Amino acid sequence: MANADPIVDVADLWMSFPGKQPDQPVHVLERVGLQVRHGEFVCIVGPSGCGKSTLLNVLGGFLGETRGTARVEGAPVRGPDPGRIFVFQENGVFPWLTVEQNVGFGLWQRSAAERDERVRHYIAMVGLQGFERSYPRELSGGMRQRVEIARALAANARVLFMDEPFGALDFLTRLKMRQDLVRIWQSENKTVLFVTHDIEEAVQLADRVLVMSKRPATIQAEVVIDLPRPRDLDSPGYLAARDRIFSIMGMDAHGGGVS
Amino acid sequence: MSASPSRAGIGQGRLAAFALPIGTIALLLVGWHVAVVASGSDLFPKPLDVLAGLVELVEKGLLLKYVVASLFRVTWGFGLAVLVGVPLGLVLGWWRPAFLALNPVIQALRPISPIAWIPVAILWFGIADAAPIFLIFLASVFPITVSSMAGVQNMQQVYLRAAQNFGMRGVPLFRRVILPAALPQILTGIRIALGVAWLVVVAAEMIAVNSGLGYLIIDARNAGKRYDLVVAGMVMIGSIGLVLDLLVRRLERIDSVRWGYGQR
Amino acid sequence: MRPLNSVQKLGLGLAAWLALISLLHGGLNLGWWSGKLAGAATQERYRVGFLPVTCHLTCPVTDFINKQTTGHGIFEPVRFSGWPELKEAFLAGYTPATFLLAPMAMALREQGVPIKIVYLGHRDGSAVVVHKDSQIHRMQDLRGKRVAVPNRYSNQRLLIFRALNDAGMTTADIQLVEMPPPDMPAALYAKAVDAISSGEPFMGQAELDGYGRVLWLTKDVWPNFISCVLAVHEDMIENHRETVQELVDGIAKSGKWLDQSMDHRMDAAQFVAKGYYNQHPRLLEFVLSKPPDRVKYTNLSLRRADFEEIEKLGQQAGILKGTARFEDYTDTSFVPDDSVIKAHDWPGLPKEKR
Ligand SMILES: Nc1ncnc2c1ncn2[C@@H]1O[C@H](COP(=O)(O)OP(=O)(O)OP(=O)(O)O)[C@@H](O)[C@H]1O
Ligand SMILES: [Mg+2]
Repeated sequence: MANADPIVDVADLWMSFPGKQPDQPVHVLERVGLQVRHGEFVCIVGPSGCGKSTLLNVLGGFLGETRGTARVEGAPVRGPDPGRIFVFQENGVFPWLTVEQNVGFGLWQRSAAERDERVRHYIAMVGLQGFERSYPRELSGGMRQRVEIARALAANARVLFMDEPFGALDFLTRLKMRQDLVRIWQSENKTVLFVTHDIEEAVQLADRVLVMSKRPATIQAEVVIDLPRPRDLDSPGYLAARDRIFSIMGMDAHGGGVS
Repeated sequence: MSASPSRAGIGQGRLAAFALPIGTIALLLVGWHVAVVASGSDLFPKPLDVLAGLVELVEKGLLLKYVVASLFRVTWGFGLAVLVGVPLGLVLGWWRPAFLALNPVIQALRPISPIAWIPVAILWFGIADAAPIFLIFLASVFPITVSSMAGVQNMQQVYLRAAQNFGMRGVPLFRRVILPAALPQILTGIRIALGVAWLVVVAAEMIAVNSGLGYLIIDARNAGKRYDLVVAGMVMIGSIGLVLDLLVRRLERIDSVRWGYGQR
Repeated sequence: MRPLNSVQKLGLGLAAWLALISLLHGGLNLGWWSGKLAGAATQERYRVGFLPVTCHLTCPVTDFINKQTTGHGIFEPVRFSGWPELKEAFLAGYTPATFLLAPMAMALREQGVPIKIVYLGHRDGSAVVVHKDSQIHRMQDLRGKRVAVPNRYSNQRLLIFRALNDAGMTTADIQLVEMPPPDMPAALYAKAVDAISSGEPFMGQAELDGYGRVLWLTKDVWPNFISCVLAVHEDMIENHRETVQELVDGIAKSGKWLDQSMDHRMDAAQFVAKGYYNQHPRLLEFVLSKPPDRVKYTNLSLRRADFEEIEKLGQQAGILKGTARFEDYTDTSFVPDDSVIKAHDWPGLPKEKR
């Protein structure tokens, strides 16, 4: 964390989509401001449809902002960049490629030997050994999601934008993937911006959790999770952080609200 | 080993896959025979007359000649249509100015029946093989172009974004992402176009070529009361069309396109 | 070598198919390995268009006899299936000479196409045929009935006009429909039309098959009726005079040969039906003999009066404007002297081939 300049720097970002009527645009983001430092793991939570994916897509370079500035790695975002890999909420695994071809896709400019090596490593990590030659249609939804994660990690990007990557996974796989992600993040010195609707997940993973409001959304609150890793899910600090986010989002952790 | 119910089910399925269509055909043949006998006229041939006509064509060595001639023309006309239609469609689907410039022209040319082009074909290409090849090309190039174009336009955005994210653009992007993403729809267009190409062979061979199944039909009409040969030509065209469709359907089972056709 | 993947296999398969079908087509239909070398043309062969009708009989007869007597022909007869295709190939210059409907040739000339009529193809050889069960026995009985003609530019249509004139009727009294001659017998059989009129052998076919009855033959209504002529592009006339002359002479000799004896006609029915028209020889035998003057192949020179009659009726029928005259659309310089021209010196098919 030698670099003092933030990796992601968003100031007064506005975003609206053209609506049904031409004069009534859908305002999605309003006055969004956030910063992510080098090597930081930041989670974004917020109600469904508030604009989390939209924000991440602006940062990933797939959508242009309406107003304001979004800078990543010191420069305004102009478009997608192989140094900053996106994991899509809707599965972006190529259905015409096998698992190993998909995982190796981001390495298309590397030598075959290097590619094979990394592909094998990340397939093992997401637990898909034996499915190397399978096509996505032969996999379950969770397995496909793991292919996409392996593809993003194999490309060895500096920054990861992850849009609900574990949403389709079962509980155990999800726990394991979280551990693996934290391990890779720690060992490979990456910066991660991670969208989730799962508050527990955010608290387990993040250095900081940003809570977004309803649409038109802005960053409503910031919760710093200053807990040692691996995190003890029964520790008072963990429970306190979790309950705080619940209450910011207008729900009671024990009252049976939606998580 | 005991025969499990599921195995028996599969066996029945296989049997049904043969028995049902053959049963239908047999029924149609019987109905045809009865209808002709009932009509009391000998102008329209009975199924056996048609079979005799086919045998006569085989004995004269004409059937093979004609089938080869028609397949030759369809192969070239259709092959050229694929070579032109697929790249053209991809470009139109990808590059909006090209779409804006060419799409109206294509949509205007598309509904013109190949028969209307016969005079043009003769004036440009004479009356040898080139003219029917041109007509078959015209008939099949539009479905292929349009489906390739739609394949690109309907491509899920997430594939494009993922590929661009990995720094892919230009030719590799086209070859490794856009083409495979559009391929299922391209193949559907190709299948439709092959059917059309085969359909047009009769019209195309009305031009003075002196071989081919379409020519067989036209020629049999010139030959007086040889409607058995007319129907023989129809039977051959239908049978070969069936085989062609089965072959193209097999393409849809290739692993890298199967995802595009639902769960079958 | 690595094993091929499915795409490579597909590509190889397609390439193999392309080669196979092209070679088969070349071998079976284009004669790449057989005729090409033997008949290697030392001389350019001119294509002559024709249809499988008796009006064009002299075309295949000339070709056949040329091949029998000199071993090759300088003409290559090209058979078409319909008038439009024949006309278009002629316009495109693909066939520099062709047998063509006389009014169509005249109309093309009026429209500025540089062609000339150099000779006739035949005389007579048409009929109006009705269903044998019908009550139509005179021209007047056709009132309100549906009559099929091959083409608006066909002489058969003019023939109907003339017969109507003679009967004191007009076209308003009948219903004229255009129909390709090969479809006419079936249409008459199905009673889709009440009368049909075209060149032979399609009229003969309806008669032969037992459901057609001749209302009248051309010779009864319009003696020496012309329907088809030999038309040639003007640049052929300018640059290849001797070739055109050879073609005209060949046709004149064939006509003489055909009208020399019934044996010759029966021979022609055999070799033309089998080698050129792909019809049953019985059909040609019938129309060439019953009666023998149903169609005639002599007296083929171009006569002004015949064409002026066509001009008149053509204007009445709305297909000619009358802007081109006899001098414009004919070139009589090739017409051989009828008294000098001799039939082909060819005895006919050997007896065992009959
Ligand atoms: N291309 C678009 N055109 C118009 N409106 C859009 C478009 N994309 C998103 N929206 C709207 O923007 C809002 C935010 O969408 P977004 O996908 O960012 O939500 P989200 O926070 O990611 O929700 P979720 O948690 O359900 O994924 C939604 O109301 C959606 O209707
Ligand atoms: Mg979202």
